[in-house]
Amino acid sequence: MTMGYIVLQNLRRNRLRTALTLVAFALPMGVFVLAISLLAALIEIGNMNERELRLGVHHKVTLINLLPDAMRRKIEALDPERKRLTAVCGMRWFGGKIPEEPAPIQSLAADADTFPIVYSDAGMTPEDIEAWNKDRQAAVVGYGVIEQYKQKYPDFKLGGRVSLKSSVPPYLELEFHIVKVIEKANRAQTFYFRRDYLTESLKEAGVDSPKCNIFWVKCNGADELRELQTAIDQEFSNSADETKSEDENAFAASFTQALGNLPGLMNAMAIVVLVIVGLVAGNTMMMSFRERTRELGVFKAMGFPPIRIFTIVLSESVMLAAIGAIIGIAPVWIGLTFYPLPKLGVLPIASLKASPAAAYISLIIAIAIGAAAGFWPAYQAMRLRTVDALRRVA
Amino acid sequence: MASADIELQNVSKVYYKDRLEIPVIAGLDLKINPGEFVAMMGPSGSGKSTLLHLMGGLDQPTGGTVRVGENYLENMTQIQLTKWRSQHVGFIFQMYHLVPVLSAAQNVELPLLIFKGLSSANRKERVKTALTVVGLADRMDHRPNQLSGGQEQRVAIARAIVTDPDVILADEPTGDLDAKTSQEILNLLNLLNFEFGKTIVMVTHDPKAAAHATRTLHLEKGELERDEVNAPRPAAGASA
Amino acid sequence: MALPLTYNWKNLFVRKSTTVLTCLIIASVVGVLTWLVGFKSSLDRSLSFANDRAKIIVLKQGSTSETNSAIAPEDANKLTQLQSLAVDAKGEPLKSPEMVVQVSLPRKRDNGVTFANVAVRGVTDTAFAVHPNIRLLSRPFAQGQLEVIVGVQAAKQFGGLEVGDVVQLGYGGNRGFTVVGHFSANGAPVESEIWGPLTVLMSSYSRTAYSSVSLRLRDGVDAKAVVAEIEGPAIEMTGKTESDYWTEQTSNIRIYMMIVGVLVGIMSIAAIFAIANTMYASVAGRTREIAMLRTIGFTPNQVLLGFLYESVFLSLIGGVLGLLACAAWLSLAGNTKDMFGSNTFTTMGFEIRLGPAIVVKALGAVAAVGLLGALFPAWRASKLQVIKAMREA
Repeated sequence: MTMGYIVLQNLRRNRLRTALTLVAFALPMGVFVLAISLLAALIEIGNMNERELRLGVHHKVTLINLLPDAMRRKIEALDPERKRLTAVCGMRWFGGKIPEEPAPIQSLAADADTFPIVYSDAGMTPEDIEAWNKDRQAAVVGYGVIEQYKQKYPDFKLGGRVSLKSSVPPYLELEFHIVKVIEKANRAQTFYFRRDYLTESLKEAGVDSPKCNIFWVKCNGADELRELQTAIDQEFSNSADETKSEDENAFAASFTQALGNLPGLMNAMAIVVLVIVGLVAGNTMMMSFRERTRELGVFKAMGFPPIRIFTIVLSESVMLAAIGAIIGIAPVWIGLTFYPLPKLGVLPIASLKASPAAAYISLIIAIAIGAAAGFWPAYQAMRLRTVDALRRVA
Repeated sequence: MASADIELQNVSKVYYKDRLEIPVIAGLDLKINPGEFVAMMGPSGSGKSTLLHLMGGLDQPTGGTVRVGENYLENMTQIQLTKWRSQHVGFIFQMYHLVPVLSAAQNVELPLLIFKGLSSANRKERVKTALTVVGLADRMDHRPNQLSGGQEQRVAIARAIVTDPDVILADEPTGDLDAKTSQEILNLLNLLNFEFGKTIVMVTHDPKAAAHATRTLHLEKGELERDEVNAPRPAAGASA
Repeated sequence: MALPLTYNWKNLFVRKSTTVLTCLIIASVVGVLTWLVGFKSSLDRSLSFANDRAKIIVLKQGSTSETNSAIAPEDANKLTQLQSLAVDAKGEPLKSPEMVVQVSLPRKRDNGVTFANVAVRGVTDTAFAVHPNIRLLSRPFAQGQLEVIVGVQAAKQFGGLEVGDVVQLGYGGNRGFTVVGHFSANGAPVESEIWGPLTVLMSSYSRTAYSSVSLRLRDGVDAKAVVAEIEGPAIEMTGKTESDYWTEQTSNIRIYMMIVGVLVGIMSIAAIFAIANTMYASVAGRTREIAMLRTIGFTPNQVLLGFLYESVFLSLIGGVLGLLACAAWLSLAGNTKDMFGSNTFTTMGFEIRLGPAIVVKALGAVAAVGLLGALFPAWRASKLQVIKAMREA
């Protein structure tokens, strides 16, 4: 018989209490792992974006204002030797919708020549690039978009032809040929096609408008990105088209903020959860401790050193926390693995997936909480005066 | 089979409650020889339980010395006392105090877990021996709630002797048992004392129980009133 | 004779640590619940003042919101065909052409670290007759001048919108419009907007088309019929009643609230289990006492009721603590919140206020939680067999 066995058996002493505690511990832990998973997904995407070193240049007043595409040459002219920037890709918002669907797809027209370079994370192989260059109607689509629509619209697949209607004037309807599916998480919700195709189509519709909403500049390093950020804004500061340059994460942040600060909310939820489970564990341990005073007294009389008494009580709390956490985390984790939640609004995550990191972190934090909650009862147990303990009627 | 003698010299114990001083024992002298079976009797408040606690190192005197075997308990630290208890004393209580979620064998094994040097096989052997002595080898795997009161107390006794202590201290061991079962328990104590030579000190308020001991101490208000040698005890196994 | 309530109240203080811990658990859940209920109330209140049955918002055919709709003035004129429009004192139909753009303004709540897109609406004077819920708090802007008025919610949440401030508008962001006053609308979404003169704004943004046209119908006219007429072959535009429009715009906010609601619900269940735990321990520790009460003559039901009271007391204390914590949080971290509409690029501002209605709801919910948690333990206490309990050591 080991001490571990004793601790486990003690949990079986009052099965109802143990069961209630485990449930009261597990439910908030389920919420916790969800919140942490979401935060982890956002952080991961933030990191992925940061590595790409892209600088977004848009109109100072609003992203909606269109900039003349001649601006691209001017940006490139700031660094003719390409020491600081690699390439510039102009993009224009299309906002294409499938007619019966309520929400538009995040679809953008991109400069055909520089798109594969500036968006190297699309992972286009030389064959993909060739297909992109050859086909006017070529489209590069993120896997999140494919997953979302492929059930209802089977053409949403590699090689398929889909038709989208723009949600901005002049509401063009264009056909596209999907030549590449992007695997990376940070590009999962996007749909890119060739801007020359859009410009031509606009001309045919009577709108002569070779313009862009934003220019993405691929920089050579983090310092270079900062330098270019100031240089570009300065270059256009006194023109009709004043610019504001932001790195990709700052750009994305302005969207997620207006979603009601979901990251902030998840943070708050996580903290509240930890407080609640800590209290639940502490409460149970105090109740157990109070009822076991005499038994603990006997242990002391037998000669168990105080540190061992402390360890027994603390271990019980940690064991409760660990089991409760596993009960709470496992269903959520399994659920998310088999049924990942579809994209939540404009959030740049393809789906809320089960992340092993989130599960481990949640478990470790739960155990830490169990230890913290059990500390006081364990300490009291250690400091019990044996004689009083033996006398006490619970 | 070890056993020790107990000597108390000028022992006093004062309790403090709020700011009141409550003297429980004052200037008591006592000597118990190895292998004696001593009963302590007296009305409640007479200090008999306190004396038992002092002899067992569960409490320390306010004044005087307490010697058990070679050890002087009054100057030992808490840690030292704890260690000493685990090696030298076996306790038996009125309410048995078995751990309800462990089997009888596991309950008896508990005190052995304190010692680091014992192997699992070694421990199991000792447990078996102890349970055989008390006559419950066939109930080793039963839980306390599957045992009668008398059987539970016997398991508690097995637990008290499994470490082969010098001294066995019992606080009202038959207080919760009926006459017949009490008899069985007292016979068992006699066995431990007669055959294994253990020093036993037993607190009781039942004169019939005290009759099983070799010597009876009567305490009154913290002082030793009488110290009698008992009539020769009944042979172990026979009824009173 | 019933168990005196003070008995149950006092029992809570016997085991202080357990009472405190359980109270804190309840307080935590109630704090978050109150915040959510406050937010939902704010949204409901805002929407409840955007449900004018006699107002229709007309967009370009197929548009889902004003930000992606463009109506040419010639098309807007087609709307005069409608028979059911109300008329003003001069006999002119109440038809308000409007243009909506955005301006990026710093959020006050994080001291301008992040920026939000605030709606700027260009209107004619007819707009005030078409939208009678607008209440001017000082003079309006003059048509033809570089002046704007600002909704009170916008002024509260975003920087640079006080009376006298100059807001940089226009395509190049270089035309200064002076804020000459604020307006309120009972909390309706329009309070998060900036209003200015239509023609000046249209020229500042080089626009020739309106974003939308708002219509006021005559009394007693069936809005649905008018919408059908608008969408019919003669006019071919999209029409929505005000409440439909805003319900659509806030669908994503409601999804967000539902998610939070589910999470809070889960934690409430955890709280119920925690309370049950505490009450079971409370019962178990007092078996002799309960048996004593029964021998005196209290009935099982009275014992049950006693424990229910105890649990409700406990929960209410926790509930009050939670409410106070939420109120403290709101006053320290700010009670403002803004969220994107689903189809717009602009943000709607909310203020979370804890009014008496919310307090009552929260405490009611908490009392219910306390009752639920204690049901089984209290029932067990009432079923206690007296003699067995007396014997129990």
